[in-house]
Amino acid sequence: MFKKILIANRGEIAVRIIRACREMGIQTVAVYSTADKEALHTLLADEAICIGPAPAKESYLNMERIISACIATKADAIHAGFGFLSENSKFVDMCAKCNITFIGPSANVIHKMGNKAEARRTMIEALVPVVPGTKEPVYTAKDGIKFADEIGYPVIIKASSGGGGKGMRIVEDHNSFEQQFNTAQIESVNAFGDNTMYIEKYVQNPRHIEFQILADKYGNVIQLGERDCSIQRHHQKLIEESPSIAISNELRKKMGDTAILAAKAANYENAGTIEFLLDKSGEFYFIEMNTRIQVEHTVTETVTGIDLVQEQIKIAMGEPLSIKQEQVILNGHSIECRINAENPKKNFTPSPGKITNLHIPGGKGVRIDTALFHGYTIPAVYDSMIAKVIVHDKSREKAINKMRSVLGEFIIEGIDTNIDFQYEILSHADFQSGDISTDFISQTFLDNSN
Amino acid sequence: MLKFKKTTYITVNRSIERPLKKTGEEELFNEPHVPEGMWKKCNKCQSMIYTEDVIHENHTCGKCGHYFRIDATTRISMIADKGSFIEWDTGIENSNPLDFNGYKEKIKKLQEQTNLDESVMTGEALIQGQKCALGVCDAGFLMGSMGYVTGEKITRMIEKATEKRLPVIIFACSGGARMQEGIVSLMQMAKTSAALKKHADEKLLYITVLTDPTTGGVTASFAMLGDIILAEPGALIGFAGPRVIEQTIGQKLPEGFQRAEFLVEHGFVDRIVKREEMKEVLAKLIRMHNQSNSLTDIKSVNAPALLKESKAKRSAWEQVQLARLSDRPTALDYIGLIFDDFEEFHGDRLYKDDKAMVGGIGYFRGIPVTIIGEQKGRSTKENIERNFGMPSPEGYRKALRLMKQAEKFNRPIINFVDTPGAFCGLEAEERGQGEAIAKNLFEMSSLKVPVLSIIIGEGGSGGALALAVGNEVWIMENATYSILSPEGFASILWKDSKRADEAAKVMKITAKDLKKLNIVERVIPEPEKLDITTLNKLKEYFLCHISEFLLKYQSFTENEVMEERYKRFRSM
Repeated sequence: MFKKILIANRGEIAVRIIRACREMGIQTVAVYSTADKEALHTLLADEAICIGPAPAKESYLNMERIISACIATKADAIHAGFGFLSENSKFVDMCAKCNITFIGPSANVIHKMGNKAEARRTMIEALVPVVPGTKEPVYTAKDGIKFADEIGYPVIIKASSGGGGKGMRIVEDHNSFEQQFNTAQIESVNAFGDNTMYIEKYVQNPRHIEFQILADKYGNVIQLGERDCSIQRHHQKLIEESPSIAISNELRKKMGDTAILAAKAANYENAGTIEFLLDKSGEFYFIEMNTRIQVEHTVTETVTGIDLVQEQIKIAMGEPLSIKQEQVILNGHSIECRINAENPKKNFTPSPGKITNLHIPGGKGVRIDTALFHGYTIPAVYDSMIAKVIVHDKSREKAINKMRSVLGEFIIEGIDTNIDFQYEILSHADFQSGDISTDFISQTFLDNSN
Repeated sequence: MLKFKKTTYITVNRSIERPLKKTGEEELFNEPHVPEGMWKKCNKCQSMIYTEDVIHENHTCGKCGHYFRIDATTRISMIADKGSFIEWDTGIENSNPLDFNGYKEKIKKLQEQTNLDESVMTGEALIQGQKCALGVCDAGFLMGSMGYVTGEKITRMIEKATEKRLPVIIFACSGGARMQEGIVSLMQMAKTSAALKKHADEKLLYITVLTDPTTGGVTASFAMLGDIILAEPGALIGFAGPRVIEQTIGQKLPEGFQRAEFLVEHGFVDRIVKREEMKEVLAKLIRMHNQSNSLTDIKSVNAPALLKESKAKRSAWEQVQLARLSDRPTALDYIGLIFDDFEEFHGDRLYKDDKAMVGGIGYFRGIPVTIIGEQKGRSTKENIERNFGMPSPEGYRKALRLMKQAEKFNRPIINFVDTPGAFCGLEAEERGQGEAIAKNLFEMSSLKVPVLSIIIGEGGSGGALALAVGNEVWIMENATYSILSPEGFASILWKDSKRADEAAKVMKITAKDLKKLNIVERVIPEPEKLDITTLNKLKEYFLCHISEFLLKYQSFTENEVMEERYKRFRSM
């Protein structure tokens, strides 16, 4: 049994974890940077310990200081939330060496799933479907084109070291392959000094569907249904829902079973997420596994009634899962909107600053996870997500209506937010009908999403 | 501030008790704790670092880049091919010549602690498959100080290398002489140096790598005698230790004093090499010296479709201005065009590294050659760094050092001449600009290897000649070579520097004129506008004609090479 948990994070997720601990009667230690001296998580935790200056590298990413804080406060375990050190296998390894429980999977699993190629290999071996692609790196257009012809167009060319769209090209047909391959490769060489390329089938207009899983020390794995996270801007999720409108009960079962298979293949323990791409024909492909709690875990909590953070803690303490698969029932419909301090009209420029007026909505089936309070100053150095609005209702239609109502009530003054942008998305006919893919934002709100 | 209900506030207390619970024979902490040695403190930036990271990153600090000292065994594992190191000369008895109280016991204790028998490990090893004698000092053994056994091991290694005709590589790391052995320790400096002289006389390669710290008697003997001297970043290198100097002169020493970078700047280190590339660099350098210098297996390249000499009729003065154009290719551009794997070396080993002069080894079609050039900048900033291509005495002395090195290893020399003139300044005079140039003319005349000098821009007077005592001298079509600048000429003869254009004409300084005067052997035609974008049009030309040049001298004896050069200048 843990007596005390250190939360190696900040913002709403730190607050979320502190609350879970309190409900379980576990003491909490917050760590904070000098910029977060008056942040909610710092004020809320039983103990708070400063771990350095504002830049994350010096504080929330500084493993030595966080471990020292943990030892100084005699906390038994660390919950790292998401982002920062939550998927850092080295940190998890350090925790293990220091006899601190890391609430999450082992360093080995994190490392394995964090390495794209290795995760893919594991899944192929377990017969989990993956996006068809080259097994070996490709260095020349000549080798690449052979493969592309084989799997069929369109294909996507990816730089091995790539990121942020650099060294990435979508090729529509055989004729344009060579030129596109060469430009992508040159881009990669210039940006990363690496000419290693991969080629994958390009899944057109896919939906991003992910399954929440829970796994204990004893090999029990359950899935808690899916989340549809297709509303994304530049690979940043904006709206998440559970269940997904695009999935039949039959497909849900099939994908859920596959998710369990994937988690077992990874020897997974604790809460995790299996991400899939789902195409129009109902084919789905594993893309990656997230080895942490996710921002959007709340919608799963809402429809299943299960507190995922508490479950994480219980698993880390060595308890077997208390829920059986058949006890997992998705009840009604839940939607989450991420509220960011940014200005959608100014190319989504972050908008930190002081909250001069704040009204947080409420009501039945409304949950707001935030670290905001009146007079709080949002520092410029961290992520711009400041709140999550989660609603729950009987149907998707009702949930959308409720969300629009709640967003209309949400007042944050002193900074710019994306509340109105979220409202626009919710009001869009395609969103309402559910006819969307991950390209929805870039195609529908082209003008200001670039 | 918001007031929430809390249970406790804490203050961090450094002395936290950690209750021990014994399980079996091992002591296990049940509470969170940091196991011994998991972290390490960087002695430079003071931050805590993960020991595993340090090992992974070649024993450097991931946060500030600081280099930790490493023991000889680790060093050997980083440099030698796996399993290739064969240790030599272990178990030499320490004599304790001064009967120093407790010394023998101290050595014995250290031997047990460090698993070393002395402050140096010697032996033979392969580095990327190339055999060499390898000596590695270890600061963990009495600060790597040099006593009788240390000196003896190094000397025996060098002698054995001379006998087996192996290159020697020594990683120096030492506090200096071993106090407990007094005058006997001092003698090791002479003994090791003498062995190295014999090794050098056999024309064998010796590379030293100076690591932190290299001081005292080691600096003043084998550490500074390398044909090539490399150093690790930030290593302290000096004769007297900084503390001793500060006490003696009563002044605080400047930041960076006696660090490897300071040594490069002051001309004593050829190059700083990072740990991750050390093996690669050493292997490359050995390879460059192992390789045959013979062109026999190279066939002469077919003469390229020759560029036509430009038809444009330019006045001599126009030509002078062309030669001075800042977008003309510089020496390093030509080196990049014609040679592969150029490895630049720095410093004159006397005072400074002159950036107006570059030099080193590179491959010409697979054959190692020494390449030296006067280097101009292209922008103002570069030009200030390069002193507008005007070498100081240090530059000429660096060039001479590298030419002598080429002679030792029987490498042909190719010089690129491009200077408005030798630097004319107070410091240059103080350090003997005239002497430096004269010494080059004197020494170059009797070099036993062929020398080719190519004038690529301005051939300004003695500053140019100091690189142009060649078997052949070539000149680019739009380059010039003269006794002094036309402005200077006009001002001396006619007291009017504005008559430079007139002077340029009468001085006969253009390529064509020089060819007529038999000052140069070859005029190299230029593309219409010569800059770095058009330079590659000349690649074939250079490959072809330099091959011809090298092939020609290959059949010459050393004496013939010298004699031919002597006659060339004798007839002028």
